[in-house]
Amino acid sequence: MKLFSQLFHDLDGLTKTNERLKRLAEYFKEADPVDSIWACWFLSGNRVKGAVKTRELREFVAVRTGYPDWVIEECYDRVGDLAETLSLLIGDNDSAQEPIHLHQAVSEHIKPLVYMDRQDRQDALSQTWNTLRSIDLLPFHKILTGGFRMGISKGNLCKALGMAGGIDPAIVAQRLAGSWTPDELSLQEILNPDETESRLCRPFPFCLAYPLQEESPGILGDPNDWQIEWKWDGIRAQLIKSEGKAMIWSRGDESIGDAFPEILEATKLLPDNVCLDGEILAWGHEGLRSFSRLQKRLGRKSPTASMLKREPVRFQAYDLLSLGGEDLRDLKMERRREKLERLISSLPNRFPVSISDVVEGNSWKDLEALREESRDRGVEGFMLKKKDSCYTPGRVKGTWYKWKIDPYLADMVVVSAQLGHGKRSNLYTDYTLAVRNEDGELVVVAKAYSGLTDKEIKEVDKIIRGSITGKFGPVRSVKPNLVFEIAFEGVQISKRHKSGVALRFPRINRWRRDKAPDQVDEVAIIKGYANDPTRQEEDGLKVDEDGNLLLF
Amino acid sequence: MRCDVLEMRPEGIYCPGGDFFVDPRGSVPRAVITHAHSDHARSGHGHYLCANSCKPLLRVRLGASASIESIPYGDSIQIGDARVSFHPAGHILGSAQIRIEVKGEVWVVSGDYKPQADRTCEAFELVKCHGFISECTFGLPVYKWPEEELIHQQVNQWWKANAEDDRPSLIFAYSLGKAQRILAGLESGIGKIFAHSAVCSFLEHYKSAGVDLPSVIKLGDKEKEHFGGSMIVAPPAVEDSRWAQRIRNCRKGFASGWMSIRGARRRRNVDRGFVLSDHADWPGLLEVIKGTEAEVVKLTHGNGDVLARYLQEMGINASVLNESFYVREEES
Ligand SMILES: [Zn+2]
Ligand SMILES: [Zn+2]
Repeated sequence: MKLFSQLFHDLDGLTKTNERLKRLAEYFKEADPVDSIWACWFLSGNRVKGAVKTRELREFVAVRTGYPDWVIEECYDRVGDLAETLSLLIGDNDSAQEPIHLHQAVSEHIKPLVYMDRQDRQDALSQTWNTLRSIDLLPFHKILTGGFRMGISKGNLCKALGMAGGIDPAIVAQRLAGSWTPDELSLQEILNPDETESRLCRPFPFCLAYPLQEESPGILGDPNDWQIEWKWDGIRAQLIKSEGKAMIWSRGDESIGDAFPEILEATKLLPDNVCLDGEILAWGHEGLRSFSRLQKRLGRKSPTASMLKREPVRFQAYDLLSLGGEDLRDLKMERRREKLERLISSLPNRFPVSISDVVEGNSWKDLEALREESRDRGVEGFMLKKKDSCYTPGRVKGTWYKWKIDPYLADMVVVSAQLGHGKRSNLYTDYTLAVRNEDGELVVVAKAYSGLTDKEIKEVDKIIRGSITGKFGPVRSVKPNLVFEIAFEGVQISKRHKSGVALRFPRINRWRRDKAPDQVDEVAIIKGYANDPTRQEEDGLKVDEDGNLLLF
Repeated sequence: MRCDVLEMRPEGIYCPGGDFFVDPRGSVPRAVITHAHSDHARSGHGHYLCANSCKPLLRVRLGASASIESIPYGDSIQIGDARVSFHPAGHILGSAQIRIEVKGEVWVVSGDYKPQADRTCEAFELVKCHGFISECTFGLPVYKWPEEELIHQQVNQWWKANAEDDRPSLIFAYSLGKAQRILAGLESGIGKIFAHSAVCSFLEHYKSAGVDLPSVIKLGDKEKEHFGGSMIVAPPAVEDSRWAQRIRNCRKGFASGWMSIRGARRRRNVDRGFVLSDHADWPGLLEVIKGTEAEVVKLTHGNGDVLARYLQEMGINASVLNESFYVREEES
């Protein structure tokens, strides 16, 4: 754990992304490759399943330290992080031995726990605690309890690996895609400089849209310079056919083709070595369906025939990134569009691969009027793409804009709060919000985490600390007092929620210091926003507001 | 509080036998002071009594007109029916536990204390007593202080690394006690050392008490120096001020016991937290409380509920002293 513990504590102290990346790359350069691959795996949020339950771990620490449960509970309450609490309680160790390797920690101290009975597990952990140095304790408990990422996103992990190995991070991303274990994948494979084999079916870095902040897009000049499309409410993906093999990649660099066999099948009619950028949508005989229908298909590896029939999908293409193996990203948008139209026109109608139509409008005013139809059409507004722009990775001002319809707004009151994560683990930043029902009672309708400034968060934190009325695990109920204006993108009728509604992408729009808790909105008003009040919400994977799968 | 020696009044802990208060608020005729921190030594009282080495620091705090008397550690004086003596608390220079004996019953008011070694103040002395009023700022077992030497090493390494990048190191530390402790641990030859005037006003008294301190440049409001490679020590209160903002491109550190928890560290939003406290840690609290052999223990100055219950479960008659006007120590 020698180098890994040092890495852990260093990353903990560094706040700038660049410094963190550099530090991580340094680790990958100097660490044993076997340790590095485990580090990748843990930093991807994985853990060794079934090693020890946290409750049991707490009990073992209680036995070891001689502290009663309630003392450990109070400590956890103060520290806010279980692994850290336990590490602090176990504390210094005089008999610590030579630092062990990370992979040894896993293979000798964690994996064997899975097959032990309780007593053996307790003895083994006790032994481990004697072995570890005090600086190893926190990293060890973190990997033991799992789900920690040290604030390293998957993209940054790939960047650091790329820096260490001198190869393209996108290739690293492709090699790390999907689920894998350190027994199946080696660091040598990830950092193999021979890129030819993996080049073929990897996705291109996605071009992202900038939100149009201004009220009117007039500042963008002549609308005829822009290709305008509806902004679909689906899952952003690249559809690739390479050497006869078809794949679908989400923006999280996750291969999601298995869930959509009809789209993979449809690529048989596409030419070989092609890459399309577009959106996966729920699409029935009547046309576009709501996002909640698409959720039924998400995360199912091999959907049944009846599922395919009941919940059809389509890939709505809006860009062509390569054709015949030729990279088209440096062509202008309008040229790529021509080629895309030609390609799709050769496909049959009512086909699972289709094209996103261009919207015509001679003036921004006309377009603004047309945009008013968005909600009825089930879309989120317009996408504006500069006709003479290339396909650039990431979010670049001046190429693609999203001109979204205004969100719904409602005033809600905070009824409970929870501490945040990472940098904010000591501040109450996660709020549960309620509105009034017909009887005037408060009913919970949303949770919101973002939207306040750092200064406001500190202020809100103080207010919350002063109005706590109860404690349920990590949740603190508070006296209703803080009123926020919440923005959200849509409403689904839900039986699982007591209020009967579930909101999409709720976030704090502003703090209504001027409003009292009895002035919050009524749930009936929110219900009225639902597209189809008869349709129930589905359980499914989470997707962000740009249609990107959030897999972790 | 039920004992014949001390009782609780709105102004604070009162000794009826000697008609004086310990570390009182408000305005009282006679105040016995444990140490010169502002939450213990307040102005506005008639007469003050403290330990000899506390007196000059108290003078800085209270001004020239205050009536201050002092006696050496260990000497006792009679005040009415009470016999009073001061014993080193190991908290800061001149800090004392106050031993009060009335008709054979002995109580000790700890003030703030730490049994851990500290080269800038008199070493803590354990005093046996019947009743002990103990601070409990860090009354949870997650608070365990590393060796002081280790922290000084960490500070110096951090300073060196910053100096190599030609960046200033700005450490926030409470201006009386903690700041001097940081200064005393600094290595020579790394770079210049600056301190905020609040820190400097106590330096001469530390030096005349025989504490070995490096030479420090007082940093006022205006000087525009090249601070690259320097160490600057300042009280936490100036963190967001112009004073600190003109020190460009600095790395910031914070020295406090609270820094042992990552969440607290993040909340301070500094680059580096150093676990250096002038209070007793959990093992220190237990060691001292048990060591006094007190039959009754009253906890104050912190959230004492956990420690009180823990001591009760060990068979010690402990409870939280209800101090409704309790103000939190500035070390936060
Ligand atoms: Zn103090
Ligand atoms: Zn104090």
